[in-house]
Parts: sequence; structure tokens; C-alpha cells
Amino acid sequence: MTTVIMRTTARAIVPIILVVSISLYFEGHNLPGGGFIGGVLTVTAFAIIYMAFGLDFLERGVLGRDVDPGKEHSRDRVVVAYRRLFAYGFAIAVASGLGPLLFGEPFLTQAFVMLEGVPVYDHLEVASALAFDFGVYCVVVGGLLTILSVVGAE
Amino acid sequence: MSPDLAIVVAAVALPFIAAALTPLFFRVLGEGTGFAGSLVALSSFGLLASQYGDEGTVALEWIPSLDIALRFHVDGWALLFALLACGIGTLIFTYSPAYMHGESGLVRFYAALLAFMGSIVGVALAADLIAIFLFWELTSLCSFVLIGHYTADDSSQYAARMAMLITVGGGLFLLVGLLLLSIVAGDVVGPASAFDLAAMLEQPDAMAAALRDRGLFLPVLGLLAIGAGTKSAQVPLHFWLPNAMAAPTPVSAFLHSATMVKVGVYFIGRIRPMLVGPEWLFLFATLGLTTMTVCAIMAVASTDIKELLAYSTASHLGLMVAGFGFTSVYGAETGVFHLLNHALFKAALFLVAGIVAHEAGTREIDKLGGLRRDLPVTAAITAVVALSMAGIPPFNGFYSKELLFEAAVEASHHHDIGLLGWLYPAVAVFGSIFTVLYSLKFLSLFFGDRPDDLGHVHRPPVTLLIPPAVLALLAAVVSVDPELAVDAIVQSGLEATAVDPHEMHVDIPTSYSPAVGMSAVTIGVGILAFPAYGRLHDGIRAIPRAVPPIGANWWYDTIVDGLSDEGRAFAEYVHNGLLRTYATWTLAATCTLALAGFVAAGAIAPTEFGLEVTLAIGLVLLVAVIGGLAVVVSESHIAGVLTLSILGFMVAIFYILASAPDLALTQLVVETLVLVIFLLVIEEIPESYEVEVGRSVRDAVLSVAVGATAFVTVLVTTSARPDGPTDIARYYAEQAVPEGGGTNIVNVTLVDFRGFDTLGELAVVALASISILTLIVMRGRGDGYETDARGDDATPGEESPADDSRSDEPTGTRSDSPASGGGDE
Repeated sequence: MTTVIMRTTARAIVPIILVVSISLYFEGHNLPGGGFIGGVLTVTAFAIIYMAFGLDFLERGVLGRDVDPGKEHSRDRVVVAYRRLFAYGFAIAVASGLGPLLFGEPFLTQAFVMLEGVPVYDHLEVASALAFDFGVYCVVVGGLLTILSVVGAE
Repeated sequence: MSPDLAIVVAAVALPFIAAALTPLFFRVLGEGTGFAGSLVALSSFGLLASQYGDEGTVALEWIPSLDIALRFHVDGWALLFALLACGIGTLIFTYSPAYMHGESGLVRFYAALLAFMGSIVGVALAADLIAIFLFWELTSLCSFVLIGHYTADDSSQYAARMAMLITVGGGLFLLVGLLLLSIVAGDVVGPASAFDLAAMLEQPDAMAAALRDRGLFLPVLGLLAIGAGTKSAQVPLHFWLPNAMAAPTPVSAFLHSATMVKVGVYFIGRIRPMLVGPEWLFLFATLGLTTMTVCAIMAVASTDIKELLAYSTASHLGLMVAGFGFTSVYGAETGVFHLLNHALFKAALFLVAGIVAHEAGTREIDKLGGLRRDLPVTAAITAVVALSMAGIPPFNGFYSKELLFEAAVEASHHHDIGLLGWLYPAVAVFGSIFTVLYSLKFLSLFFGDRPDDLGHVHRPPVTLLIPPAVLALLAAVVSVDPELAVDAIVQSGLEATAVDPHEMHVDIPTSYSPAVGMSAVTIGVGILAFPAYGRLHDGIRAIPRAVPPIGANWWYDTIVDGLSDEGRAFAEYVHNGLLRTYATWTLAATCTLALAGFVAAGAIAPTEFGLEVTLAIGLVLLVAVIGGLAVVVSESHIAGVLTLSILGFMVAIFYILASAPDLALTQLVVETLVLVIFLLVIEEIPESYEVEVGRSVRDAVLSVAVGATAFVTVLVTTSARPDGPTDIARYYAEQAVPEGGGTNIVNVTLVDFRGFDTLGELAVVALASISILTLIVMRGRGDGYETDARGDDATPGEESPADDSRSDEPTGTRSDSPASGGGDE
């Protein structure tokens, strides 16, 4: 699949997909979207990179690291980073749920504030659910990419 | 005066807390941990003793939404049992360090023993049906650990498994009985106290009447009897108890004398006022007397001192059950008083057996004798408690057995039971004769000649002697002045278990009565038959050898072995390591069960098909169907994957048309990802498969079944749905903006209202990643390690495992449906 057409297309569409996925995550609270969908879309972008450039591309081409060909793929630093990502994501989700306990509210209670007079936006809504959703996003991206890269290496 | 909640809860919780802290104790005290246990048991004893004379219920909130509470009821009967457990527990903990000296696994031993004691105290005090069941099963679990203490010993493991299987199995019957009881109780004492046993026992007659009205009296009685009978080793499920002697002796002493095996008897006494009646008499008197006689005969056939005591325990449990079975007040007196007496003499006897085994090095009856010269104090202790077990006047066992005889004689006065009115006293006497026989046999270990091959017998350490001596002393006190025990605790225990309690009196009889005559016959025949003990012993032993199916143990082995074999054969068939087999069985079973459920519930009714589909939706679905057909007929994998995507995208468009944009977005994104992943792996998949005709027919049938089930399920569930949005849906729609601050209801529901569910799903995704990672990494390692074992097809040498699997032929990609990959995340 590493054809020229594929690579050229990937160069164009991957940034677009990533931007869309991030915007999906941010506007999820008010429009269709959210952490899960944003996460899956991000994974799609990475899958296209894998497809167009091969599994070692991220490690060698983007991060400029040497890849030891004899090493198990699951030990690659990128894969380790994915694993960390979903672990941290889970921790963020749990921690965002523990926060309300400090205020005497039940586990996972969410709240939101409206900020008025913010430059550019004028008024901005900040929901605590965004932190939880960020956890969801991280778990989905980290988890699926771990699976994808490890299974893809087989 | 009503009891103090804090004290009662502390008494129950203390042993559990101590059990959790046992590793800490052990680090500080080493083998002296047992003494810390004594202190804990003594503290619980003290706490409970401070509630002496109180009566009432205290409750700790537990699951308020279901009206379930940790409810404790304190009265004479509960205190009697709980105090026995703590008191004998104290002695057992004192005895253990010397007995278990130098053994391994002591932390587990003491922790389990403490938790065991706590569970028993919990059962004794609990007045909530769920709490009773919880503590009840906890005793089974703890006893499993204790009986199986010698983990390397097969017989110990066998006994532990057997005890677990029987008592936990019985516990399940109990659970059903308790639930039925709570259903009826909801009507009588109010739904708020449907699980409150104490409230039910305040209106025993109303409860009994309500049970009879509903036709649940016999089922409840039967289920509770099975639960109690298995726990208290009643025939024919008595055989786990003699096997449980594989446990260390302190455990046997505790388990067999004061605690777990008596839980059933205790429970029978507890519910007695509510369920007593003709059926009760017939069930429990028959069960108890049969157990008493059968197990007494088996005890005579025993060759091991602990086996003898174990069978005798079962026999005495039968006596107590029979006592409670008799509906007259004598029956309750028998049960309560014998529970106390038996605990005193049987715990002491087990501890004596432990001393004998420990110091003489054998438990074989034939190899022991004349021990009084080596163990004089032990001999004195044994004399008191063995004669008490035999029921020889004036020892304490005599009084309670006398009460049994009276109750048996009285039985025919209260209910018209025909021939049984004669049979019950006769069987009671017959069983008691064997009791006298084996008690004398146990005593004779200390008298007569010393066998030549019995080696040097050591003097036991003081901590081994004190506990049985204390028990023997108590037994002696009760023997000399039984009224003391009656005033102290038995009378108040009687009031909780008898329907018409009156002032209880026990004394040495001075004039003739039928019971006195029966006692005289029992003791006389027992002593006269003792010289023929050897012949009786051999005769009884010959029977099960000649006819194995007469032994309950034989049935257990046959059934359990048969089930294990069948299970193994079945597992090989269903569980053969091929993914498609698992999928076939799982899907087929799910479809069958779901469809059978619909049929049984009468849910599949002729439904009118209203065509409420717009043209657009119709077209989209048509394209989807064509896409589905195209998947099946496509020649290459690429075409198949692409056409499958058509199906997926059409479903997404359907969601958009049905105004579910969030769902549609998810479907689109996931569909895209699946498509990309397919394209990533498609090069690795073989061009085509050879599929047998039979297999494709099977797959076709299965697919149709799954499709039909899904179709029917959707049809049934949507037809049952109310018109318009439900209350829940409306609530979410209305509250999304004010409560969650988001206009996307789906997302607000996911993160604000049902955040905990989402967290659970996150855990699923994380777990899936970890398990896939583990599977693949471990598979690589497995290849590396198995190189030597397999030899032929693996690449030899020190090559890295990952390389190995990469260069190999892709054997792992042989599965015939790679479709379900990432799509369901």
C-alpha cells in the first residue's frame, strides 16, 4: 500500500483528520462529537500513516530514532508511549471523578461555569466534564493504537 | 434492656479485624500468634457477656435501598451460641501454639480461624436474612481453608472440597428458602422489614399462617431443612463431617464441637417457633433420630480416634435436631441444653485426641491403650467428658439425653403419629446404646494394657492441658449442679426456641418414669455389650465393604467423579481451541435461549407491520441489503471489505435520517477505522480459503438464526415500548442544558449523568488493550521457550522470539472470519 498516490494523499488528509478529531473532542459537549469519536478519528489518522509509510515510520522518520530490527515491536518507544497514554487517560478520568469528593459531592459529579468577557470568544463555557472526556479520549487513542501497532507488527 | 449497637458490632467485627492483622501479629509474636487470638476471642467473649440479660435488636445500615441491614438480635439463644463460640475459641487459640509448633502456613491458619470465629458469632447474632446467609457462607469458606490446611495432602484437599461442596450447596437451598420466607414476610410484617427475621419471630403464628395460605410452608420448611441439615451433617449428607477430620486437631475441636456444624442446629432452633407443627415433628424428629443412630453405629466402626469423635459429633447433632424436632417443650429443652453440654464435652474430647495423637504419635485405636500411666491428667479429664458423652448419670450429657427420651415419649401425646409414637423412643434408645459403646471405647484407651509397640509417650505441655481441663471442669460443674447452667443461660435460650416455655428443671430422677427406664436399658445394654465391641466393630465394617452403595461417601465419589469426567469430555468438545467452535456454540446457545425465552414468555405475537418508512430510508436500507448480499458473493477479500463498508455507511446514513447524528458520527468513524485496518492487514490474509460444504451450510444456518433472533428481538422490544419518549428520555432531554451545560444530550448523558458507566467502558477498552498486548507478547515468549520442546518446526537457536513469529508462516491468521476485529471497541 505504500504507493506514491497513497503517500501523497496521506500527507494531505492526515492533518485534516487530526484537526477535525480535536475539534470533535472540544465541541462534543454541545454538538455531535466527544472524546470517544474524537479518539477513534485520531486513531484513523495514525492508521493511515501506518498504511502509507509503514510501521517504523513514526519511530524513524518523525522522531528520528533508530529502530532495532530484532526487538519486539511491543517494546518500541512509540508503543510504550501509547501504553502510557491510555494508562494516564484512565488515571485522568478517575481523578476527575475524585475531584468532586473534595467538595462533598458524589463520585464523578460534573459541573460547569460560564466565563463572560473572554477575548475573541466573548463568553466561554468551561465544563468539568471536559477533563473526564479528555480521559476518554486518551484511553481510546492509547488503547486502540496499542492494539493496532502491536497487531499490525505481527 | 436493649443491647448496645456498638458493643455487639464490635464483638462481631473484632475477629475479622484481627484476622486481617494476623500477618502483623505473626511478625511480632511468631508462633505465639495463637495467644493474641485468645485475647481477641476473650475480648469478644467479654463484649458479648456484657450484653448478658439484654434482649432486643440493633441494626446498622447496610443496603437501605433494599431494606437490608446488618441487623443483630441479642437474646438468650444467640448469646448461648455466640458465647460458646468465643469461649471455646479462646481455649482453642491457647491450645494451638503448642499443637501447631513448627508447622508452616500459620498466618493463614490463624487468620482463617479468627475469621471463622467471627462468622460464627455473626450467624449467631444476625437477624437479617441476607446477613445470616452471608455469615453462613463465610463459615463454609473459612472452614474450607481450615480443613484444607495441609495443602500438599490429597486427603486434606479432598475433605476440604467435599465440605465446601456440601455445605455451600446446602447454603444455596437455604438462600432460596430465605428468599421465599422474605416474600411472605413482606406481607406480614411489612415490606420495610421483609428481611428482618427478628420481626418475623415476633409474630410466629401470623407468619406460619401466611406461609400456609400461600402454599409455601412445606417448600420453605424443606429448603431451610436442607440448608441446616447439610451444615449440621444430617443423614444422608453427614459424610463430609468425618472427612473434615483431615483438618488439624484444634480446627476439628472448634469446628466439630462448638461452631460450624452446630450452625444448622442453631438455625433450626432459631426458626422453630415460627415453623413448628406436625410436618416439623415428622421431618426433624425422623431426620435427627436417623442421623443419631446411623452415625453412632458408624462411630463404633471407626478405627481412628478422631474418626470416632467425628461420627459421634454427627450422631449428637442428630440428637439435637431430633430434640428440636419434637414439638413439646421437652424438645426445645433437649436441643438447647445438649448444645451446651455437647460443646463442653466434645471440644474437650477432641483436644484430648489431639494430645494423644501428638504425644503417642498415632491415632489408631488398636495401637493405643493403657495411657493413664503416661497421661494421668488427660485420663482424668477424659473420664469426666467421655462418661458425659455416654450419658451416664450424674454427668451432664445424661440430663439432656434424659430430656430427649421424655420428648420422644411425649411425641405421641401431642400429635397423632400412629406407629411412630412407639418407633421414636425405640430408635432413640437403640442409637443411644451405640453412644454408650463408643464412649466407653474411647475411655478404654486410657485403661487396660499398654500395647507393646506403643513407643514412649511424652508428657504434654501445660498449654495443651489447660484448655481441655477447663472444659472438663465446666462439664463437671454442670454435672454436679445442672440448675446452675439452666439458670445462667439455658432457660433464656429455651425461651427463644420454645413455643410455650415454662420454668425448666433438671435433676437426677428419684422416681420411675418411662424416660428413666429407657436410660436404664440404654446404659445396661451398652455396658453388657461392651465386651463384644470387637465383634460389633468388625461386623459393621464388613457391611460397606460388601455393599459399597450403602455408604454415602460412595455416592459422593461416584457422582463427583462422573460429573468431572463428563465435564472434561464436554469441555473437549465445546472448548477445542478453535475460534469458530467457540463462536458457533456461543451464538447458537444465545439464539436458542433468547428465542426460547420469547416463546416461553408468549412475547412473539402476530404483529402488524406498519410501513412507516420514508422513501429515503427505504432506499438506504435497500442499498444496505444489496451491500450485504455483495459481501457474501464477492470473490476477493478487497471487494468483500469494500462492500461491507457500503453496508456500514448505509447504516450510518440511516442513523442520520432517523435523527441520531451522534450515533451516525460514531458509526462513520468506526466504519472508517475498520476499513483502514482491513486494508492494513489485507496483504497478510491468504487469497482464498477452501471451505467444506458442511461448514458453509452450518455457517449459513447459524447466520440466519442470529439474524432472525436479532430481528425478533427488535420487533418484540419495540412493540413493548410506550408511545413517545419515556420518562427517562424526557428527563435527560430536559436536564441536559441546566444540569450538564451541554446541548448534545448524548454526550452529556455519557459524561455527566452516566459517567460511571463510561468509566467502566474505559476500563474495558484499557483491559482489551492490555490483554491483546499480553497475548501477543506472551505468544512470542512461548515460542522462544518451547523451542526445545517442539524442536521440529520452530527455528532453533537464540533468535529473538518476535523475529521468529514474523518469519513464520502466518498460522495465526487462519481464522475464517476476521471481520469482528476493531469494530466492536
